[in-house]
Amino acid sequence: MNKAVQRRQLLIALLFLGPNLLGFLVFTLGPILISLAGSFTTWSLRPSVPLRFIGIQNYIDLFTDPNFYFYFYNTIYLLLAMPISIGGSLALAVFLSQKLELRGPRAAARLSLISAIITAVVCSVLFLAGSGSIALVLLALGLITCVGLYFGSIGYRTFYYLPHFTAGAGTILLWMQLYNPNFGLINQVLGQLGIPGPGWLTSTKSLLGFLPLPEHFNNGGFGLGAREAIMIMGIWASIGGNNMVLYLAGISNIPPELYEASDIDGANGWQRFRYITFPQLMPTTFFIVVMGIIGGLQGGFETARLMTEGGPAGTTTTLSYYIYTQGFERLDLGYGAAVAWVLFIIIMVVTLINWRYGNRETAD
Amino acid sequence: MEFRTLLKHIGLILIAITMTVPFLWMLGTSIKPHHEVEELSLVPRHPQPENYAIVLRQKPDPYTGKYLDLNFPKWYFNSIFIASWVTILQVLTSSMAAYAFSRLHWPGRDKVFLLYLGTMMIPGMVTMLPNYQIMVGLKFVNTYQGLIIPAAFSAFGTFLLRQFMLGIPRSYDEAAEIDGANHLQTFLDVILPMARPGLIALSIFTFLGNFQSFFWPLVMVKDDAMRTIPIGLLSFQGQYGQQTELIMAATVMNVIPLIILFVVMQKQLISGIQLGGVKG
Repeated sequence: MNKAVQRRQLLIALLFLGPNLLGFLVFTLGPILISLAGSFTTWSLRPSVPLRFIGIQNYIDLFTDPNFYFYFYNTIYLLLAMPISIGGSLALAVFLSQKLELRGPRAAARLSLISAIITAVVCSVLFLAGSGSIALVLLALGLITCVGLYFGSIGYRTFYYLPHFTAGAGTILLWMQLYNPNFGLINQVLGQLGIPGPGWLTSTKSLLGFLPLPEHFNNGGFGLGAREAIMIMGIWASIGGNNMVLYLAGISNIPPELYEASDIDGANGWQRFRYITFPQLMPTTFFIVVMGIIGGLQGGFETARLMTEGGPAGTTTTLSYYIYTQGFERLDLGYGAAVAWVLFIIIMVVTLINWRYGNRETAD
Repeated sequence: MEFRTLLKHIGLILIAITMTVPFLWMLGTSIKPHHEVEELSLVPRHPQPENYAIVLRQKPDPYTGKYLDLNFPKWYFNSIFIASWVTILQVLTSSMAAYAFSRLHWPGRDKVFLLYLGTMMIPGMVTMLPNYQIMVGLKFVNTYQGLIIPAAFSAFGTFLLRQFMLGIPRSYDEAAEIDGANHLQTFLDVILPMARPGLIALSIFTFLGNFQSFFWPLVMVKDDAMRTIPIGLLSFQGQYGQQTELIMAATVMNVIPLIILFVVMQKQLISGIQLGGVKG
């Protein structure tokens, strides 16, 4: 190929790539290099601190900083919600992809019409009788029943996906109110059942509180605390989210012959799941786990900032929130950058281990 | 068999209720008068829909007699304005770059693409601190430019659309070339229309991600007039944290447009997730 043609091709490519490449260099690649270099300096937002090269001092400080280990522990602890959340997504996807149609083409429509009428009547009676709350719950129940019976799996999927789609500052504030120890919905319902509600966001307890953790981990003993509150909210928001949708796609790609063969062999539901569905979904699971760990290790920032300010006693401070407070509250960008790079190395190592181990598993 | 199907429906309905009850509580609390907030009920005895007017500053707060000190309508505008611009710019730059990576041949193409992919693994926290300093240098702090421009380029979007465009058969552009189309015409008239599902999915991800974006606005915004909804909710919480009913009214107004967006775009969104694997 001659030079002139090559140059022309490069020019055309640059015209298409130009805007994106410029942004990429200025806002991604450039900052990555600056932050790497900055982590070896006294880089600060305080004008009084001169910029000096200090070698690996920030990294030495970091590894001798007891808080770093505490916040790393918190980050890992919050990740423990992941198996529950992923397992739940898988279970929902399995149930949603089973046969949900009722016999006869018009049975679903008829049933959902009947439940609509029953709901309307019962709700109006209750509402007039003054039990508005129960009426509202029944109304929701009736509505979901109609949608579920009529639309089947797509109908349910809409309800399950909503918490994920709306997740953000709004739903975090919503849960903050639900967790209020005095008048929050959760503790009030527990109180009605005669169960004393935990302190949730004000409590340093944790389910691993029985372990002999170091003094500065501010261990409040065994129980439900702020970290569990964040985990429960996270499971609520993610169980019917993207992971469930990916599993649904994965299940619909499993060749039906496999199930037909197992029917001939007389397999029951659990055996079909254990020997066909689960192994066939291994690549999907692998992808979800890898992405979940990468995201989880970087997580916990919004909840810490909005709900708990990293507290109580630092128990909900994760590494990403620590980086933020070092950079924007203590104005020590160099140290913050060093923590960010250590976080990156942790993510890389975990991902590589996953890759090694996971690929072997999926190759079976 | 029929009985078991019904049983499955009952289980699925109960889970759907669990997912919905927090939203119902939010809706109910948002129209409660202040003294009813602490009661265990989903429906107020004396509904007070004026809470919405108070949050929107159409009415004064009955307890202080003053209008709220926070400009919620402006936050709403800011969020939609910023998220819309980021979406337009990101889809534009990403689709052009994706064309260069999937359809053009040029020296070093695959190396540059690998570099893009590699940076996707690096946590956002790494680039956030230098990006802030760049914004200070450009005097973009607390401006729309500062909130829009850094978000307008995306390695993820480029990756998503490149994968999508690779799936469009070559014969289409070859036909266009025979008809004498240049690259710009091929891009606009052949590739973009065929990549429509990918473009729509990326648009939803980007809009949603930026409408809800918390981290970057938190460091960029310095005064109330530039706040977006998530950052505004944070200051709302700080200033009127005791007035649960007002916070819930604000939250409802944050969440309702998203619910509508989801119900309308559900089909495109779900296929987009299955296509790209992740939400932006």
